[in-house]
Amino acid sequence: MFAEIMAIVIFVMMFVLIVWDRYPKHIVTLGCGALTSIFVFGVGMRSFEAFYNTLAISGIFKSSFWYAAGESAEQTSGVNWATIIFLWGMMVMVEGMAEAGFFDWLCLKIAKLAHYEPTRIFVAFMILSAVLAMFIDSITVILFLAAVTIRLARTLKFNPVPVIMAEIFCANLGGSATMCGDPPNIIIGTSLGYSFADFVLNTGAIGALSLVIIILYFYFTMRNRLQDSADKVDAGAIDVEVKIDNMKEFLISTIIFLIAVALLVTHAMTGLTVAFIGTFIAAITLITSGKKALKLLKRVDYFTLLFFIGLFIVVGGLEETGVLVVIAEFIAKVSGGNAHLMIAIILWVSAIASAFIDNIPFSATMIPVIRTLAATTGVDLSTMAWTLAIGTDIGGSMTPIGASANVVGISTAGKEGYPISWATYCKELVPGTIIVLVVSMISIFVRYL
Amino acid sequence: MGQFIISVGREYGSGGHEIATRLAEKFNIPLYDRNMLDQMAERNGIDAEDLHKHEEMKRQGLTRTVRGHSSSVQDNIAQLQFDFIRQKAESGESFVVVGRCSENVLRDHPGLISIFVRGDEAAKTERICRLYRLNKLEAKAKMYRHDKKRKAYHNYYSKMKWGDSRGYDFCVNSSLMGVEATADALYKMLSDFLKSKEQ
Repeated sequence: MFAEIMAIVIFVMMFVLIVWDRYPKHIVTLGCGALTSIFVFGVGMRSFEAFYNTLAISGIFKSSFWYAAGESAEQTSGVNWATIIFLWGMMVMVEGMAEAGFFDWLCLKIAKLAHYEPTRIFVAFMILSAVLAMFIDSITVILFLAAVTIRLARTLKFNPVPVIMAEIFCANLGGSATMCGDPPNIIIGTSLGYSFADFVLNTGAIGALSLVIIILYFYFTMRNRLQDSADKVDAGAIDVEVKIDNMKEFLISTIIFLIAVALLVTHAMTGLTVAFIGTFIAAITLITSGKKALKLLKRVDYFTLLFFIGLFIVVGGLEETGVLVVIAEFIAKVSGGNAHLMIAIILWVSAIASAFIDNIPFSATMIPVIRTLAATTGVDLSTMAWTLAIGTDIGGSMTPIGASANVVGISTAGKEGYPISWATYCKELVPGTIIVLVVSMISIFVRYL
Repeated sequence: MGQFIISVGREYGSGGHEIATRLAEKFNIPLYDRNMLDQMAERNGIDAEDLHKHEEMKRQGLTRTVRGHSSSVQDNIAQLQFDFIRQKAESGESFVVVGRCSENVLRDHPGLISIFVRGDEAAKTERICRLYRLNKLEAKAKMYRHDKKRKAYHNYYSKMKWGDSRGYDFCVNSSLMGVEATADALYKMLSDFLKSKEQ
């Protein structure tokens, strides 16, 4: 009983400290991970095996960690090294792309193709944001897109705030469409053994439908606030430079990106795991970057990776002590075995929780819960996995603190003198989030139940 | 005379802003206070009040930080002002800056002279009553509210505590000689200091 209580206390404390935002998140999760190791696995359970299982280091040395024929689950519990290694690899690749000026070039090129017309840029950047976020972390997508949007807004005299908010929303939506789009998806995919193609065919299909609806919604609700007709600037007079400083670096980074996409799309067929793909992509990025390799390595956000390690240990504590089974049994009891109600609970609870707390620990916690639910109630695990992915990814759009992309977009705008308050943000994006969640719920009901 | 930057921290009602204005006039250099946001608002074509309502405030409500980026409007406006102050300092310009944690932002700048202006409660209350046509109770409430806000803001973004003499080059009580005489005395003292530094 002591172990269970300690696991819950440490878990709640971790969430409170993350939401409080007073200490760096990686310090919080690593500290709580250390407490879990001492008080849950040590004092409470007196089980070195539980601690060892949670660290899951031995898994890295198995060949199935790097190459898995078929669609077997790559990780069942504890620290999800596949996620961490994959994210590291993608971070290295993205740093290489940023160094080569890929994102600036792409954003400005698309603005040029849109003839520097604010409404066209608005729609084009929403699509660009969603598409890029399918393969690249949403923080990077918004960091570049928001900066370019502000630059263009000053030149073309339009209001960048609605555009940035729509970009944030679409980045989160695009992230929900693929296995590598958002950290919860990569955790769900690697933990439950789903492939990139599985995500595209399920969350991707729902995401595509939602994207069309949300573009129409934002277009009709925001277009009139983009620009006063008096501020219209002649597109012919625009002088925005769209150039690539180093063509060799640009081409190499683009080719590496395309290789990453190809490997991810085909990984279920090739048997290459995401851990392998991440390592391979990082290796070729570093090899081709020559002298800049060290610079790229230094730029990787290691704090986020440490955050993941601590988080998985804390969630491992809950899992090993059986607390998550109790939560799963509670959901099963509340829904009375009704699959529709169960899906609705998972979707809306995930969405609302993700609006206020980090969706990464939430999804990591919920994976063992839905696994238990599937085993005890007979509801298909994949249906619950897609529901959880959509709920956590989309719900994060609801508030300024719900997802990393929101924070980066708001910060980029704010530092350039375009403040986005809670009220402004929620007024624009809460209705959009609710629309997409309702569309997703109906889609899941119709398609899977 | 080489570059010099005078940062003026102040208690509400102490006349610190007026002293900063007089110093800027006497040295014939620009004064930066809330006007630094006016420039940004004009550039962005937005109402300056949208920026002013969040300035000199500590972050409020639920916020989140991701890779050094903050969702807090107050954090972002503070950062905007800190960047503005740094850019002005890097440009080689001499200026007077009021509040905005400027003595902390420019703490490593060789040209910085930091001043903190305080005042006796009675003198500050009388000044607030006169300037804002308030009764004593209202003036004290206003003073308490503003100082609490400034202290929280300063202590959140700075290494040293607000009003702690160790964080400033000069600390002065404007109630002793009055605002005008304090400004004159500071001007003389700073002029002498800058001349001696020149030599």
